[in-house]
Amino acid sequence: MIRRWLRHPLVNLALKALVRNRLQTGLTLLGMTIGVATVLTMMAVGAGAQQSIEQQVRAAGLNQLTVRAGNWKPKADDSGEAVAHGDARETLTLPVPDLMPPVPDAAFDAMPADNPEGLSGSVRPSRFHPEDDPMEKHDHPLARQRLGDLEAGLGSAATLSFADAQAIAELPGVQYVAGGLHENARVYAGSKRWFTRMHGTDVGMPSIKRGWTISRGRFFTRREQDDAAQVIVIGQIVADKLFGEGQDAVGQTLTLWNQPFTIVGVMTSATWVVQPAPGDDQFDAVYMPFTTTHRLLNLSKLNDITITAESSGAVTELARAITTLLRQRHGIGDNQPDDFTVLTQATRALTTGGLPPSVARAVAGNVAELEKVTLEQLSITLERASRTMTWLLAAVAAVSLIVGGIGIMNITLLSVTERTREIGLRMAVGARPSDVMRQFLVEAVAISLAGGLAGIIVGIAAALIVSRTLQWATVIAPGSVLLAFGVAGAVGIFFGWYPARRAAQLDPIVALRRE
Amino acid sequence: MLIETRQLAKEYRVGDHLVHALRGVSLGIQAGEFVTIVGPSGSGKSTFMHILGCLDRPTSGQYLMNGRDVSTLPVDELARVRNGMLGFVFQGFNLLARTSAVENVELPLLYTSTGVVEASERRRRALAALEAVGLTDRAEHHPNQLSGGQQQRVAIARALVTQPSVLLADEPTGNLDTATSHEVMQIFQQLRAERGLTIVVITHERDIAAYGSRTIDFRDGQVVSDVHHDQTLAAASPR
Ligand SMILES: Nc1ncnc2c1ncn2[C@@H]1O[C@H](COP(=O)(O)OP(=O)(O)OP(=O)(O)O)[C@@H](O)[C@H]1O
Ligand SMILES: [Mg+2]
Repeated sequence: MIRRWLRHPLVNLALKALVRNRLQTGLTLLGMTIGVATVLTMMAVGAGAQQSIEQQVRAAGLNQLTVRAGNWKPKADDSGEAVAHGDARETLTLPVPDLMPPVPDAAFDAMPADNPEGLSGSVRPSRFHPEDDPMEKHDHPLARQRLGDLEAGLGSAATLSFADAQAIAELPGVQYVAGGLHENARVYAGSKRWFTRMHGTDVGMPSIKRGWTISRGRFFTRREQDDAAQVIVIGQIVADKLFGEGQDAVGQTLTLWNQPFTIVGVMTSATWVVQPAPGDDQFDAVYMPFTTTHRLLNLSKLNDITITAESSGAVTELARAITTLLRQRHGIGDNQPDDFTVLTQATRALTTGGLPPSVARAVAGNVAELEKVTLEQLSITLERASRTMTWLLAAVAAVSLIVGGIGIMNITLLSVTERTREIGLRMAVGARPSDVMRQFLVEAVAISLAGGLAGIIVGIAAALIVSRTLQWATVIAPGSVLLAFGVAGAVGIFFGWYPARRAAQLDPIVALRRE
Repeated sequence: MLIETRQLAKEYRVGDHLVHALRGVSLGIQAGEFVTIVGPSGSGKSTFMHILGCLDRPTSGQYLMNGRDVSTLPVDELARVRNGMLGFVFQGFNLLARTSAVENVELPLLYTSTGVVEASERRRRALAALEAVGLTDRAEHHPNQLSGGQQQRVAIARALVTQPSVLLADEPTGNLDTATSHEVMQIFQQLRAERGLTIVVITHERDIAAYGSRTIDFRDGQVVSDVHHDQTLAAASPR
């Protein structure tokens, strides 16, 4: 069929005309190719970004559960106010008798930061709590979360253990399990210091956090975790603050709690959608094996356990199973409240999403299947982001297509001028203005479609290169290929219109006389 | 009457100047006539032929073809008339370069009143037209591989391919040597004899004009003499 179509006199003619001005045709094609390739690459990158956001949402969100030590529940009295038992944590001001440098508060700023080890060779208790640190300028979302072992009061007891984590890992439908401890921490390297978030975590955490990528070095190993080694993975922000941007921190030593830690890796965001920022708890943070935290802080419990379900649909069911398991393990009687909290991503989003805590708790306690609500919320955010991106891409695409289109207009005008006599002759043998017009339109569209075809090939190649070299996800949808082709044809018609009209309006006698 | 003109006038405005290219030409041409038009340069011969060929419209006056006034037809209709009724032969051949003889001849078949003629039919008819001018063996040659006379014969084949009733030729021998000029004129005569074609040829040369059955002399936009020489066809024909 295509062969027949190619032999159609109009198409045949157009192709011949294009072959005649090879160089000009080539250059015009190039313009069009670049235009279409830009469109396609942009669409591929855009679609890829969207997909990666979705994947990230899925990976980090919907199939994820967190079991947190402690619990809250509405007060039994008739004050009407929902107050969690765990609220005690939030108002807890007890000094933490652990590992901070044993210096008076006032002396802290005067402390020679370049040699913090000089102040204390070993781990000693302190009156000082990091939360009261005057250096703290950023607000960690989890800053109020205290170490379980230190928490007082019902429901905020140190209840989660590594054994609990192992037991949860045995449950059906569980993908990964990682226990964690969290604390604010002051870290030093050379003369630099930074106040950040410390996570004692599990070697399996990178599998759970799909949004992470190790940009330099590596994550700590199972062996290092078993040995409670003093190795540490630092977030991008910490690396930038302590060692300067672009500097390799791997292999350097970092001091925390007066203990030297070897930096084995730098961790950053896997997508450009989430950018590391100071105070973000993920990339402004340091990660060590939880065993190391246990050893140094002389602890045995976990603040929380993060679990991913094999399928996001099974989250609610899994949450129930975990609750049953932990109640049984903790020996909680039928009439007693949980001493832990199982949070799905949805409840987490609610409780950390800027809602007043009491409202969030009321919602979390009462709405069934909360994951769905959150999915909608996430998709709204997603849609907003992708709309902005779409406009940006459309602008880039429009500019490159206009440039390509002007090229087509130019070569079609050239063709009309060059072939004025031919146009006159065609009219003399019976061509109507519309026939002439069609001829040049077909010619313009032939170039733009050829350019479009080349652009699709180049665009696909460019998208592949982008995803190889920049590690950006790119998705080339069949629809976008068709769209690019269609747009190329439309550009040909649009920009070929004027030259074709000029040709059609020629006076045959004038045209025939033209040299 | 196949062709009839009534008080045809054509004026061109050049700046403030009004050029009278034709000043009231009234003529009738019967089907099957072989008309040669002579006259000094600038006398309006080409202008007259352009109007006959529906390539141009008169400023005033009427042009009837088979009794129908075609001078007021819309452009698309004029194109149809040119395609179906008329065939043009130009002094400069006007063949498409880089296009074979047979493809050149096929050209008018892309624009017939019934649309584009199907490819195999186009080829068949183009070859038949080429045969009529004795160029079957040159069908695949490109214009630059043909002599002037051969090129003009291809142009005649192109004019014939839609089987028109009138053949219009503006100085068809202007670019040819004497021997070739006579060959071309003989082809015209032969076509007239075999197909009853009406032929109008503009020429500057008296011996070429002598091929016609009728010679019209133009001067200053007017017909100054119109001579029918009925028996000249047989006499002039060297056959
Ligand atoms: N487009 C035009 N604009 C202005 N004047 C024109 C135009 N076409 C023709 N003329 C004038 O009309 C007159 C007749 O021209 P035409 O071409 O018909 O002469 P001709 O008899 O064919 O001459 P030749 O033998 O040299 O071909 C001339 O004076 C010419 O200058
Ligand atoms: Mg002339």
